[in-house]
Amino acid sequence: MTRLDAKIPEGELEKKWSNYQAKSNLINPANKRKLKVIVVGSGLAGAGAAATMAELGYQVECFCYQDSPRRAHSVAAQGGINACKNYQHDGDSVWRMFYDTLKGGDFRSREANVYRLAQLSAPLIDHFAAQGVPFAREYGGTLANRSFGGVQVERTFYARGQTGQQLLVAAYSQLSKMVEAKKVTMHTRHEMLELVVTDGKASGIITRNLITGEIEAHNAHAVVLATGGYSRVFRLSTLAIGCNGSAIWRAHKKGAFMAGPSFTQIHPTALPQSSDSQSKLTLMSESLRNDGRIWVPKNKDDKRDPSLIQEEDRDYYLERRYPSFGNLAPRDISSRAAKERIDAGHGVGPLRNAVYLDFKDAINRLGLKVIKDRYGNLFDMYKKITGIDAYKSPMLISPAAHFSMGGLWVDYELMTTIPGLYAIGECNYSDHGANRLGANSLLQASIDGYFILPNTINNYLSSAIKNDPPKSDAPEFTEAKSQVEQRISRLLEIKGSKTVDHFHRDLGHIMWQECSMSRNEAGLKKAIIDIKKLKEEFWSDVKITGHDKELNQELEKGLRLADFIELAILMCEDALERNESCGAHFREEFQTPEGEALRDDSQFSYVSAWEFINENEFKLHKEQLNFEFVKPTVRSYK
Amino acid sequence: MLINRKYIMAITGLFLCIFLIVHLSANFLLLLPNNLAKEAYNTYSHLLRNNPLISAVSILLYLAIIFHSVMALIITLDNKKAKPQKYFMNYAQQNSSWNSRNMGLLGLMILIFIIVHMANFWAKVKLGYGPELPIDSKGQIDIYSVVVTTLKNPFITLFYTILSIPLAMHLHHGVQSAAKTLGLYHKRYLKYVALIATFYSCVMGLGFGLIPLYIYFFSQG
Amino acid sequence: MRVNFKIWRQESHQEEGSFKDYSVDNITSDMSLLEALDYLNETLVLKDEKVVAFDYDCREGICGQCGIFVNGRAHGPHDNTTTCQVHMRSFEDGQTIVLEPWRARAFPIVKDLIVDRSALDRIIQKNGYITVKTGGAGEANSILVAKKDADKAMDAAACIGCGACIATCKNSSASLFTAAKINHLDHLPQGKLETNERVMAMVSQMELENFGSCSFTGACEIECPQSISITEIARMNNLFLKAKLTKE
Repeated sequence: MTRLDAKIPEGELEKKWSNYQAKSNLINPANKRKLKVIVVGSGLAGAGAAATMAELGYQVECFCYQDSPRRAHSVAAQGGINACKNYQHDGDSVWRMFYDTLKGGDFRSREANVYRLAQLSAPLIDHFAAQGVPFAREYGGTLANRSFGGVQVERTFYARGQTGQQLLVAAYSQLSKMVEAKKVTMHTRHEMLELVVTDGKASGIITRNLITGEIEAHNAHAVVLATGGYSRVFRLSTLAIGCNGSAIWRAHKKGAFMAGPSFTQIHPTALPQSSDSQSKLTLMSESLRNDGRIWVPKNKDDKRDPSLIQEEDRDYYLERRYPSFGNLAPRDISSRAAKERIDAGHGVGPLRNAVYLDFKDAINRLGLKVIKDRYGNLFDMYKKITGIDAYKSPMLISPAAHFSMGGLWVDYELMTTIPGLYAIGECNYSDHGANRLGANSLLQASIDGYFILPNTINNYLSSAIKNDPPKSDAPEFTEAKSQVEQRISRLLEIKGSKTVDHFHRDLGHIMWQECSMSRNEAGLKKAIIDIKKLKEEFWSDVKITGHDKELNQELEKGLRLADFIELAILMCEDALERNESCGAHFREEFQTPEGEALRDDSQFSYVSAWEFINENEFKLHKEQLNFEFVKPTVRSYK
Repeated sequence: MLINRKYIMAITGLFLCIFLIVHLSANFLLLLPNNLAKEAYNTYSHLLRNNPLISAVSILLYLAIIFHSVMALIITLDNKKAKPQKYFMNYAQQNSSWNSRNMGLLGLMILIFIIVHMANFWAKVKLGYGPELPIDSKGQIDIYSVVVTTLKNPFITLFYTILSIPLAMHLHHGVQSAAKTLGLYHKRYLKYVALIATFYSCVMGLGFGLIPLYIYFFSQG
Repeated sequence: MRVNFKIWRQESHQEEGSFKDYSVDNITSDMSLLEALDYLNETLVLKDEKVVAFDYDCREGICGQCGIFVNGRAHGPHDNTTTCQVHMRSFEDGQTIVLEPWRARAFPIVKDLIVDRSALDRIIQKNGYITVKTGGAGEANSILVAKKDADKAMDAAACIGCGACIATCKNSSASLFTAAKINHLDHLPQGKLETNERVMAMVSQMELENFGSCSFTGACEIECPQSISITEIARMNNLFLKAKLTKE
């Protein structure tokens, strides 16, 4: 299948990236000034890429839907960022990090990509320190580390519980530097609504100015999508309310393949849902699992206050099932184990939909001060939201939709199947396989944006210099604009009887029920039928007030939901096709007698890349994963 | 620049604070028994009037008052421009003290006080305004009598006493604010500054407020 | 529970605005305030009315996009909280809740409760960064940073750029915001090198953007969701004075 050439460079694993760099094309600085690159999204990946490409001399246009690039949802990652610096002298190395990530992803990602991720992690920390990220330090002034789920070394760097915020602010400040230098034009409150493709190559985007409603065309020599994850397809998720899948879905419909779309990480430590009107699930950093112990009552429907439940009546189920990793078992495993206990009737909290995360032992062992120092702001946040003091009583936590491992299929250069269209950060499918390890998302976003893309994009742009993209008033742009305008007016003219949120709740309900922590054939088939029905209802009965030439948040939500609905169908198709369990994808039909995931490497050692044929038809392309350097093993954390 | 104006406010303000210490110290002479008070106060005034250094400093003092007031006016107008529309509902008392928000108003009250105060004494002595001033046994102007006579007017005494309250409030915030404006940021020192500001503003308020009352009730010209 | 919202409605910066009253039933105490607004908006849509425009994104208190003046306080009745973290249990059944946009000359109203805070971005664009290029960094541990300095840098760096300090300040001063960035970078050896230029440039830009000056009322530190201390402003003044006095 020629279209799915991952372009993995020759040579030993350790040499692939340097071999690539040695051979890729360069562009002279005078020519870079003539090349325009569009970056959609201003999170860690987008801001890092925009700032770095501007430093290299390209003209960059950067877009975000928020009022400032600093709001992008990278800001919310609390726990940290991994890097194999081996500062702790605990046996860490590039190889070990590579292996942990590959294994964490259940061997559904490319060796070469993952190795590069581990390789570049150490210089990334240097880079962030130089940008002024106030990382946690030891008293002697060196950088501090902590451990995180899925690994047995301490390689996570952090800035209190606000690592994502601090890294994003650093990237944002670098972006601001290049805005001031007039190398980046920043378009805030702009949302990409269409990709424009000319002669098979990405040549620009159509955006909506969210304040005036103006539909605008922007041309460029290359387009970079850095639009983050799409777990808002479940409606209730840990994501920001504005996070959406529209940019990648528009690209998909224009020919970019979607890879592993159903691979969604369900985070084990979010706050439980308390009612239907809830708009989001707040994440409590996974780092809490370093010192907290997770348990449920041994007896079903034990409604006693947790302080009254004796040790012998508590089931520390993660420690019981996975003695060597215990509470630090990877996210997918922890979430599924929690779901298993909750479904078995051991859930706690008013809606019996949660488990306890208990700090009593840690406070006894380390003292209150240490715990306050490590997790103070998380405990404060917990109290703000729930009104409960977690120093005294265990936290209630519950699984929630979190990270999209799936996304646009990209090759080693992070280019999608549309030449000139790149996808970086969470919106691509690259390094995490079927499950992402904690503190690897900030890492991947940053490395994609700062280090990889600015190197690989030259290789494409060196040939693009000879053919400029069409002007933004060329026919393909005006046509794309009018298509967008038609879609908007169609939506506004329905004037039905139900709100956008109503349909979103229904979609979320279907997806959470059938396409989240555990899936089965019958459920997925039913989900596809239900979503298609929902799609029809949506397009015939949704009601959006206001008009298109103004700030209209209902319209924004409606456009995003329309794309989510279509994406949801593909997610279910993808989950249905993969007759195995791997990572976050757990098919009930494929499990061991102990209830662990049963992977099938003989049949499914590939990345599913879906091509859009029409609204009801997607064609599967398989990128076979060849493991040259490691042998996939059963992913056991026992 | 706005920030420069704030530095001027702080420096002139602190200078005026020092002046107030000197002024109040001298006023304590008024609390001595009548005869002693008269002699001491008149001699002190005489010395002040005839010392060229003090004359020079007094020019600085007038300038400080003028600069402090004019800058305050400019800053207040600018600040008002920065928030052209007020909130319909604003519970500012939940996040800040009344006097910190009303330094301009307090300052205006003090300015009025200063004008009245200068009309009462300074204009008479320096400009020779009003009837001829009495002379004491040493041949010096008998300012003590002027003070006592003036303050035997209950309205003037009340005015002086009441306006010592805005003075204290203004000083309490002003001293701390000036310290921060001039860049004192160590929390430990700021705690000391807060203590000093409280002590200082209480002493100034009580001193300037009670002395007129004492004179009204107990002193004889 | 039932609440009465009194909400500022304004079509755009050019048009006049006014308050409108809405009374909403079926509010539950565990809803967040923004969820109650979502709910109100759903009822408005069904009544064929335009929804109330308000800013939000992460809804977990870190992105800084939300910001409403709720019942006379920036970000609502609690100290050091974002609007998205205010829950309806903070209000009583039948209470009237007044919602106003941030008011400052530097923050023109975009629509209803949404204001334009791009002035803050422009302050950061004036040297609110460390001048370093991707790829040029040395080994991170080769520059040691004392834990106390890293902690102080983090205290200041925690700013989420929501603008509550400006909203609550009677002078609409952006001093706390600006000081937080200047001090964050000045506490770190990597950032210290450029402090003089940074403090001059950022303070000038702050004043160009029509923010007022600081009167040290202390309101900002009470409303700041990250509890950034007002002493940061004193420290900025200190750095500014030093920069000015040592300017070549």
